[in-house]
Amino acid sequence: MAGIGFEIRKILERDSYWDVLKAYGYAGLVSGGPWVLSILGVMAIGVLAVVLGVAQTHVNAFQICVTYLMALSLIWTGGMQLMFTRFVADQAYAKAQADVLPNLMGVLLLTMAGGFLWSVPVVALMFSGSLLLRLLLIANFVVLSGLWLALIFLSGMKAYRRIVRTLATGYLLAILIALAFSRWQLEGLLTGVLIGHSYLLFAFLRHIIREYPGQTFLRFDFLERRKSFYSLFAVGTLYYLGVWVDKFIFWFVPYTSEPVIGPLRASIIYDLPIFLAYLFILPGMAVFLVRMEADFAEQYERFYRAVREGDTLMHIEYRRDQMVYTARQGIYEIFKVQGLTVVLCLLWGRDLLAAVGISPLYIYLFYIDVVAVSVQVLLMAILNVLFYLDARREVLVITLSFFLSNLVLTSATLFLGAETFGYGFAVSVTFSAFLGLFMLSQKFNRLEYETFMLQQ
Amino acid sequence: MSKKETYVADIALLLEGTYPYVRGGVSSWVHQIISGLPELKFAVIFIGGEPEMYDKAQYQFPPNVTHFETHFLLDSKRYPTKSRRGNKKAFDEIGELHEQMRDQNAMPVETMMRAFKQLGAKNGVSHEDFLYSEASWDYITEQYRSRCTEPSFVDYFWAIRTMHAPLFVLTEIAKTLPKVKALHAISTGYAGLLGAMLRLQRGTPFILTEHGIYTKERKIDLAQATWIRDYNDDVSNTLHDEMGYIRGLWIKFFEQIGRMAYAQAAPIVSLYEGNRLRQIADGAPAEKTKVITNGINLPRYEKVLQVRKEGIPPVLGLVGRVVPIKDIKTFIRAMRALLDKLPEAEGWIVGPEDEDEDYVEECKELVRSLGLEGKVKFLGFQNVADILPQLGLMVLTSISEALPLVLLEAFASGLPCVATDVGSCRELIEGSGEDDRALGAAGRVVAIADPEATADAAYALLSDGAEWRAAQQAGLQRVKRYYDDQMMFAAYRQLYVDTLQTDSAPEAASGGR
Repeated sequence: MAGIGFEIRKILERDSYWDVLKAYGYAGLVSGGPWVLSILGVMAIGVLAVVLGVAQTHVNAFQICVTYLMALSLIWTGGMQLMFTRFVADQAYAKAQADVLPNLMGVLLLTMAGGFLWSVPVVALMFSGSLLLRLLLIANFVVLSGLWLALIFLSGMKAYRRIVRTLATGYLLAILIALAFSRWQLEGLLTGVLIGHSYLLFAFLRHIIREYPGQTFLRFDFLERRKSFYSLFAVGTLYYLGVWVDKFIFWFVPYTSEPVIGPLRASIIYDLPIFLAYLFILPGMAVFLVRMEADFAEQYERFYRAVREGDTLMHIEYRRDQMVYTARQGIYEIFKVQGLTVVLCLLWGRDLLAAVGISPLYIYLFYIDVVAVSVQVLLMAILNVLFYLDARREVLVITLSFFLSNLVLTSATLFLGAETFGYGFAVSVTFSAFLGLFMLSQKFNRLEYETFMLQQ
Repeated sequence: MSKKETYVADIALLLEGTYPYVRGGVSSWVHQIISGLPELKFAVIFIGGEPEMYDKAQYQFPPNVTHFETHFLLDSKRYPTKSRRGNKKAFDEIGELHEQMRDQNAMPVETMMRAFKQLGAKNGVSHEDFLYSEASWDYITEQYRSRCTEPSFVDYFWAIRTMHAPLFVLTEIAKTLPKVKALHAISTGYAGLLGAMLRLQRGTPFILTEHGIYTKERKIDLAQATWIRDYNDDVSNTLHDEMGYIRGLWIKFFEQIGRMAYAQAAPIVSLYEGNRLRQIADGAPAEKTKVITNGINLPRYEKVLQVRKEGIPPVLGLVGRVVPIKDIKTFIRAMRALLDKLPEAEGWIVGPEDEDEDYVEECKELVRSLGLEGKVKFLGFQNVADILPQLGLMVLTSISEALPLVLLEAFASGLPCVATDVGSCRELIEGSGEDDRALGAAGRVVAIADPEATADAAYALLSDGAEWRAAQQAGLQRVKRYYDDQMMFAAYRQLYVDTLQTDSAPEAASGGR
């Protein structure tokens, strides 16, 4: 196990509480980094812009624009992210590294150009602001679409430290430029994030191109996969749809939302608590990274080595048991750590909201959101294990159930009243996590049978 | 019955890996039999391994071949890989069958019939069930746990799969084969098993002729097979487990299906006495066995004899496929030894080189490394009649043979032979009965894998005109008296007529202890 897992392992072996804390802190930064840095970056721009005298309406519009851009670009690229990750893994397995870079160019061209093509008419038809504003929205969307693909690619390379360092630089750049341009109001702030994200995209690409050899420039082999790989596309899209569908519902139902800019609406009651809650997934993400990337990946590798290199059935079963054990330990630890986080939020949530200047009216929504995003970390861990086991059918069922249940349950809460807000998302993600656990258990129980009898 | 006209042929020849795709002793014999009995109609059922292993047909069918089928045992149909439960009960019954296979020498007919009925049937063990079902998995892992002594489960798993997959192809063949009056398998193995299956299912009489002994040849193959992993660690290795479990499993498998064929076949024909005894030792009921020796077309070789010039050409010929079982390397080494005494000697290797390309390359490499270029020549496949008059000696270094036709051809064209002591070579060269032996030796017999002895024998014959001529005469006499193809045709004609007349109701041969 190379990369981050190894480094964390080394720190952990020093065996003091301080080192353990450091290791997990490091892992948390690395794994939750992109999420948290982007939320913090955008928040910082907002807060500082107000200080510099940008009108609050413009700051609100900016934050909503960025949120929509992120949501839509994630949904737009989610399918391709997974499909392409799988393609790269297969190429690595087949030792066809030279084909990776031209295909990355292919996938970037496809998603960025495709995103450009459909965002132009949408923005042109639905926004009435300045031409510059419309161009900025389109450019931001296209750059973000490319950025997510580069980011997932680097994660695949396990270049976590570089990711975090570059992200920090990029968002610092975004903040500085946004503030420098703050006199141009909304347009200035959007230019800031555009330049920050563009810097990130090119910095990532520079790193990738230097690491990967390649003879040709552009290829589209990743599209010529067998049909089943399109199930990965569906999974990626459904996952992000599931993550965002409750937000969209709250944004577009009139009595929970208000228009902000153009067709974009926001839900004051719903948005703040949930984005705040997402800051509290860091502990779980840290455990996730350590347990999955270091421990589980290692046990997984050992299991398949036992199969391939001709071990006894008893040893193969022992390896399976060890793998199940690490998976169970990982999930259990995420559960513990996020549980503790939830407890702390329950204790100090009120003070916390007060400190950030958010009305205590939001407190119950915040509580349930912390629970929900904590379970979401669990769900991600389960999906990750299922991905390792190549359980494409199971993953598809789980993400589909996540999307549908979130859609249905969140809509239901709108009828049930304000005190149930947030429960739709929470119940949906919990249900999906349990479904995932059940399917994972099934999968593990039949693992040797499926590995031997059902191979293609 | 009024359905006589629905028979596609009188005799269905069940042929594994030979006629009409591969040239060689068995194939030319089959061609000979079909051509020699023009009044009978033959169906040719070819069973091969994988399609890639065979090129186009090497023989033109005589007009009395009225039906022809080609099947491949490892050409597994592509089923969609889908998990399924499988019929637990059917697998339990297969388990019982395996138990009996291990315990007894001959299996009760009812057990065999039940097993064949299960195979490929929807309510039994279908091919998909065997490949993908949980019941199949449970059974395989249970067997592995209780029996396999080797570490690698993945090897065991694939051995079981490749061993049994052909059985499903056989049941398919058995299901779709058009009606024939009698079956004639030219080996045990999968072809023999198909015969036994059809005999049990349809009651069609089933004749078995063995040239080599299939099980023995499989043992030689398996002992050399590099696709089976060996686990020879110094700690656990004891004297008696030189052969790994999986190799042993394969051998037992072929022994067992051989026994199934013996139990159902009647008569069981071998080419010479030695093989008949071997069949009995392997489980063939003695009263069903008989010997019908090979014969050749004598007039054809008389012409070859007439072309032969005076004198003894110092040319040694090895006529046969370039494959390990012929031990071409010993021939090459013998040439090296012979050239020291007889520098003008040459060695010609005459036979197809497409079966085992690695081995061909190794042989050619050996020729180079012994400095025999220009002295040992690979002539490829040739018309033997053209080659024979140019040779001074026929040499056979095989490590396994039955009744090699090339020796008879050599005798008939006035050529003495040096052959290894395998199959019926000694009988052919020295004679078997008293009268036969009185004719004298038609050459010399040497031990297998002994280049020195081979070279010495060759030198003795080539350098002593009197002995060479005496051997030539002995060979000519012997082949005329005992190995005339008209005698062989008569014997088979009689055998077929007898078989077709006995209205073989499926009294299901009593298992034959």
